[in-house]
Amino acid sequence: MYIYLPIAEVSLHIAVVIGLGGGVGFLSGLFGVGGGFLMTPLLIFLGVPSAVAVATEANQIVASSVSGVLAHWRRGNVDFKMGGVLLAGGVFGSTLGVWLFALLQEIGQIDLVIRLSYVVFLGIIGGLMLIESARAILRARQAGAKRGKLHQHNFLHGLPFKMRFRKSKLYISALLPFTLAAFVGVLSAIMGVGGGFILVPAMIYILGMPTSVVVGTSLFQIIFVTANVTILQSVQTQTVDFMLAGLLLLGAVVGAQFGSRFGALLKGEQLRGLLALMVLAVSLKLAFDLVITPTDLFAVEILK
Amino acid sequence: MIRQLLKVSLFLGTLLALTSGAYAQIVGKDTVLVADISEDNVGITTTFHGTNLLLFGAMTGEAGDDVVIIISGPDGPTALRRKERVGGIWINTQSVTYKNAPSYYHIFSNRPLADVLTPSEQDRLKIGYQHLPLSTDDSSITDDALGGEWKEALARTMRDADLWRDHPNAISVMAGALFRVDVPLPKNVRTGAYDVRILHFRDGVLLSEKFNSINVSKQGFGALIYRFAHEYSLFYGIFAVLFAVASGWLAAVAFRRS
Repeated sequence: MYIYLPIAEVSLHIAVVIGLGGGVGFLSGLFGVGGGFLMTPLLIFLGVPSAVAVATEANQIVASSVSGVLAHWRRGNVDFKMGGVLLAGGVFGSTLGVWLFALLQEIGQIDLVIRLSYVVFLGIIGGLMLIESARAILRARQAGAKRGKLHQHNFLHGLPFKMRFRKSKLYISALLPFTLAAFVGVLSAIMGVGGGFILVPAMIYILGMPTSVVVGTSLFQIIFVTANVTILQSVQTQTVDFMLAGLLLLGAVVGAQFGSRFGALLKGEQLRGLLALMVLAVSLKLAFDLVITPTDLFAVEILK
Repeated sequence: MIRQLLKVSLFLGTLLALTSGAYAQIVGKDTVLVADISEDNVGITTTFHGTNLLLFGAMTGEAGDDVVIIISGPDGPTALRRKERVGGIWINTQSVTYKNAPSYYHIFSNRPLADVLTPSEQDRLKIGYQHLPLSTDDSSITDDALGGEWKEALARTMRDADLWRDHPNAISVMAGALFRVDVPLPKNVRTGAYDVRILHFRDGVLLSEKFNSINVSKQGFGALIYRFAHEYSLFYGIFAVLFAVASGWLAAVAFRRS
């Protein structure tokens, strides 16, 4: 049965939409990631206009982040103070991102910028993750490897507006997490992702937060950033497809449960290695599309 | 099945009208042309995946007469962009926005258009997308600067999207009196008013012309979502967020117990 999506204005098979939600949900449950970086490009490949894919995916990530944050909250793994600073930066950045998105769309370069952002950021993160997990797998084989310091002190710790984050055991300038979250917020609005895949490693390696509170705190702030994108895109461009988001959600909820159960069978570094390969695959696929000669150099778009 | 039956009965109805009393009314000095469409109010519902309409009619003609039908959909700004390789990647470098390109333009005839009438007649009667009076938003881009390549590219890309099409042998004409054609509305049609133009030719001369229209609109649950999104966009956004929060929470609770 085909379903006509009222905002995307495309007709897709209902099994494809729910299956996509389920498949990406499975992977996000397996790896503990939001899955936006897979869902948004796949929606675009299926013919959903990029503006609708990005805005609708933001709406869906709100749900998956709420679902994910509850478990971390119960275990006390959310640093609300740090989350508050991050969400202030994230809301600022994503507002800027939505504005930038509209501007790029007007000059006809949004697809290029979306693709380039995916190639660059997924490429870097995927590459780093692959190296890190390969090292971890090797290190696990050599017993008795020594642990490094919790975090290094550098010039970033000399910035003003210092704040104490008890849960994260940090005393650092609030400007640091704010700027970081603002940057990720811009990317989040443009790429249709939660941004966890950038924020989580940045919180560990740049801010020096303990790994235990990173995922919960990141999910907590993603809820607000993606909610901000959903509302702003609804008001400015009317590109949030409620029907599409609902169907994807239906598949994702079930898929994530299977994914997380299956994930329990694998080791952490193996999971990270697999995730890194998947991230790199998406990045390479998009890079390939940018490089190969298109079948038609011309493209038409009926404007509203 | 029901649709097929409907089509047949509509066709038979026309035949009956012709052979009975109605026939007397349409025989005159001037030729008469009547036509109707199986559905003149097409609804894009939640299960819409493109549709076919039946256009049928009758005329006071003779064997060998030609029928040409043009259906053109809502005009609107349409951007055409051209990619170029810059530093190894393909980027849109040039673009033109046509102010009034029809979003749907299908031409139907009983034999190739070139056999029905001459190119100059096609131009005079504005038949065919080569003869559309397109204008661009930028006065610095003249037709000359764009050349034929851009107009060809517009026609080609629209054809690839099933939006502009020629159907040279699609109309079946019976005894120069009855005609019928299947009109495809692809799944990506726009909503709005579609103009239907039916022309009756004999030896390349236009005998009569008839106008009709089709309305395409969103209907049902999808239409409701669309209206909500456009008329109360802030509430729509807030509602979408609340719905996501509620379903995310529900999913977490439901699967924790199991």
